[in-house]
Amino acid sequence: MFRICMGYVNDHDWAKDIAQETFVTIWQQLPKFRQEAAIGTWIFRIASNNCLRQIERQNRMPRTDMPEQIAEHIEPDREPQVLFLYKCIAELPEIDRLIISLELEDVKQAEIAKIVGLSETNIRVKVHRIKERLAKKFENYEH
Amino acid sequence: MDFKSLWNKEGTSDIPGTKELIEKAGDLKKITRSKLIRLNLMLVATAVFIIYIGFNIDNEKLTTKIGIALITVAIVSYLAVYNQLMPLLFKSDMETSSHEYLNQLIRIKRKQDFLNKVMINVYFSLFSVGMFLYLLQFAMRGTFIGCILVYGLTFGWIGFSWFYLRPRGIKKKQLPLLNMIAKLEAVDEQLREE
Repeated sequence: MFRICMGYVNDHDWAKDIAQETFVTIWQQLPKFRQEAAIGTWIFRIASNNCLRQIERQNRMPRTDMPEQIAEHIEPDREPQVLFLYKCIAELPEIDRLIISLELEDVKQAEIAKIVGLSETNIRVKVHRIKERLAKKFENYEH
Repeated sequence: MDFKSLWNKEGTSDIPGTKELIEKAGDLKKITRSKLIRLNLMLVATAVFIIYIGFNIDNEKLTTKIGIALITVAIVSYLAVYNQLMPLLFKSDMETSSHEYLNQLIRIKRKQDFLNKVMINVYFSLFSVGMFLYLLQFAMRGTFIGCILVYGLTFGWIGFSWFYLRPRGIKKKQLPLLNMIAKLEAVDEQLREE
């Protein structure tokens, strides 16, 4: 769940906040959970919607205003390639970020379709395109 | 390129103990609630004060009483909507798909925008009329010049609040809302089936 949030915002502390909020929501909503959907799908759904809710907050606290040293200081040690992947994902359009994060998290495409509210065919096409885009970015990055 | 293995190299963050987290969320709720209670106490005190003055000191004219009542209603309804009704009306359901969730948020923001406009209009209408009626007594009491002065000031005040303060109040609340709606719609656009 943390990785999904991380893919969405690419900011360690912020992602942690979203993950925590999601966790609290899940805890509070658990009694309401009906067995209609798999629990995994249900959890990812809440996580995704919590990420989308950040649109409301972006307005209040623009991350780009943060001085660079501070932003870097918070980052824990990570491999440059991993950093680059998360950076590329966070630069994608919002929905694409969610789709690729769920895909990389090994969520089935049929489930992703249910989580975001698109058809499975559409998800397959989108995943393919996003992966192509990422591959291109990595090609440029390595050369 | 194996994105999956790179993706998995990002550690999962340690989430604090369940109990601690739930308590934190509970604390936040308590703080919000006590803020609300304080605000409402303050509002009740203000209303009581206005009514006290109206019925004990200046109890000559009916217009004064009506004016006071209108001002009170204006304050009470404004605060009631913002503090109690609004959060209840705009609770969102997190368990739907992203597409539905976004549409829900857009609907909520639109409703909020509409209510803002209505509430600000109601508030300003009641407050201006109330103020006008309240001042009437003092205007009638004085000399002719005093009367013109008070009326002039009253009409000036109503004009100022209606043509300057009211649109400004609406705009101030509306701009961030409209920006938000535009953003949400842009994200929702990404969910068009191809």
